[in-house]
Amino acid sequence: MPPRIPDWLKALSPGAWVMAVLALMSSGVILLSPPSPRKGMPFWIFSKIHEDTYGPIVSSWNGANPRRPVDLQLIQFYALERRLLSGFMAGTPVADLFETERMVASRSFAGPLDRVGFVDLTDRLTSEGLMEQFNAPTFSLWTSRGRIFGLPHDVHPVLMAYRADLVEAAGIDMAQIETWDDFLRVLRPLMQDFDGDGRVDRYLLSGWSTNGPFTEMLLLQGGGTLFDARERPCFDLDVNVELVAKMTSWFAGPDRMCTEAPEFTGSGHKMRLDGVVIASLIPDWMAGQWKRELPGLSGKIKLMPLPAWTKGGRRTSVWGGTMLGIARTTPDFEAAWAFAKTLYLSPALADALFEGAGIVTPVKAHWSRPIFHRPDPYFSGQPMGALYIAQAPSVPARVASPYSKLAIEKLTSVLVALQEYAQNARQFRPESLQPEARRLLQGAQAEMLRQIGRNRFLAP
Amino acid sequence: MKHRHPVLPRASIRAFPAWTPWLFLTPFLVVFTLFTLWPLTRSLTLSFQQTFGPGASRYVGLGNFQFLLQDPLFWKATRNTLIFTVASVALQVPLALGLALLLNRPGLRGRAFLRLVFFSPSLVGLVFVGMLFALVFEKRTGLLNTLLHTVIPAFDPDFGWLHSSILTSLVLAALWLYVGLNMVYFLAALQNVPADLIEAASIDGATAWQRFRHIVLPEIKPVAGLVVLLSIVGSFQLFELPWVLLDNSSGPDNGGLTLVMYLYQTGFLTGDLGYASAIGWVITLVLVTLALLHRRIMRRSE
Repeated sequence: MPPRIPDWLKALSPGAWVMAVLALMSSGVILLSPPSPRKGMPFWIFSKIHEDTYGPIVSSWNGANPRRPVDLQLIQFYALERRLLSGFMAGTPVADLFETERMVASRSFAGPLDRVGFVDLTDRLTSEGLMEQFNAPTFSLWTSRGRIFGLPHDVHPVLMAYRADLVEAAGIDMAQIETWDDFLRVLRPLMQDFDGDGRVDRYLLSGWSTNGPFTEMLLLQGGGTLFDARERPCFDLDVNVELVAKMTSWFAGPDRMCTEAPEFTGSGHKMRLDGVVIASLIPDWMAGQWKRELPGLSGKIKLMPLPAWTKGGRRTSVWGGTMLGIARTTPDFEAAWAFAKTLYLSPALADALFEGAGIVTPVKAHWSRPIFHRPDPYFSGQPMGALYIAQAPSVPARVASPYSKLAIEKLTSVLVALQEYAQNARQFRPESLQPEARRLLQGAQAEMLRQIGRNRFLAP
Repeated sequence: MKHRHPVLPRASIRAFPAWTPWLFLTPFLVVFTLFTLWPLTRSLTLSFQQTFGPGASRYVGLGNFQFLLQDPLFWKATRNTLIFTVASVALQVPLALGLALLLNRPGLRGRAFLRLVFFSPSLVGLVFVGMLFALVFEKRTGLLNTLLHTVIPAFDPDFGWLHSSILTSLVLAALWLYVGLNMVYFLAALQNVPADLIEAASIDGATAWQRFRHIVLPEIKPVAGLVVLLSIVGSFQLFELPWVLLDNSSGPDNGGLTLVMYLYQTGFLTGDLGYASAIGWVITLVLVTLALLHRRIMRRSE
């Protein structure tokens, strides 16, 4: 007589029972499995070049600190941004150390200071004398309401790279150029219509109104700014009005000197190779990028300080920026801080970053290292590092606002609207554009105030 | 021959206790609660709060919704979204129907190949399309400007499609992407139109237009309604295409700002999650209203 099957077993078919048991078992395994132990202090970075250059220093640190090793993790830029901000917002796990770009870091400064996800490093930087060791203006980007939340990775001064072969063939002496007006006057003969269609085929400068980082960089060079020292928007400053009107005269009209040669695309690179643009404004990291991506320009270009907006004015600006921050949630701040200093103060790293990415270190003591003063065949034998370093102390300070991205978008909108106005009104002289520039900047200012006004921690 | 339908014995039906359906529903309910119901509830509560970056918020009642009504950027996003929606639907639906009618012609050679050609753009992702069209619309070196300058020498090769004509560019890119998909819907509907009705009308002397107007169109009306509704819903959810096409921005003067993009910018770029939730709920309300309206219209016409 076969054994009697209990009634409760009949509640489900054999197949359903198998599924239920498998579901229960797998859930049990997941619940009971301990989370994988941390290998050390996770350190999130977003750049492959950084990973390559940090590798030896991390290995050396891990050898010397076997109980507090660093776990270097390369994460795609946007993935890192999401994980970092989600972690700060919702308390999901984040690394102990991060490298992050300016727009990402500044967005974590939106709330009260004691809730910022990064450790406030101000007191440590002061008490350990690090403020003096780093290039001073570089800290501004990692500062919110007077407190510093990151160690600067770079300076990113901007120089002008120009087609020396074309300029010299035309018998032009670039040493005559001190201001942007000089630049336009001296190089004007190079703007030419080669095919006789009535359109210019060669422009003097790569630049366009919707390139936010470019126009912000020029604004900063001329002493303009979108936020004042108290982190309040200040779009309608007189200096901004003048600079925006002047820039528009470069972008619009039949005699405009600028054209769009995108920095990161094949078409932009081709325009540079073909000599469609004579000059480009490039920070150190972009110089490194050109060396990797545009070998065809080797020996044909030279670097020089930016022409100033006015005689005796600033000859450089700043573009981009990365910092190293430490999460508040780190279980061992001292170890993370010690590693951060070891890494960023390392002379070997300064050399490797310059060699691999063209990036100049913000640590002033390393600026005399031979690598920065070597003649560079790519830049027609000029010492690229020394040229950037010469301008590093003069880079303008920037304000870290969670609304920076929004502000740059508003600046772009102003420039586009002004360009449209110029074209419709057939007005291309800076002086005649200023009233409209002022009106547009005042509108942008009002919009920014309205938006920031919602944030009671940052409201003006 | 007599067909015998399998009949489940009554006893085996009775063997399942009343809670059995719940047992099978449990996995779905757990996932639904965790990943749909809870976020919805949370976003509803957030829409009544003002948030300021990590871990700081306060209750503001209907403040976010009041702010929204006076927010020019919200209205700009609404305007852009509506223009895109109307232009997309007005272009896509007739074009998709036209293509479907062409492909449905009897005796057409290479029908399967043409169907694949028209449908294939919808096999690639929105991000890919965004990147592709960013190249197409590029100044000077872009395909469109190069072509137009070659055909019309007076055309300025530096014309900025993504600066001056953002919505037109978006509509064109979306048209390329979705027209084939909508065509497939129409083609399926056309193939279900009874051939004998068409034949009878032809014998009675009805012209091609009369056959289309009085037989084909009423037959495919439910599918056309569905295509219109899906296009409207899709247009209201527009985000990836302009975001990629405009290089992670809403374009000059917010010319490419859509409602979902504004939601994203507000919530994830400026950290105002409460306001972003309010925008999200307004979009939801608009879409639900449109869906109900569509249902009502379809019922009436039936």
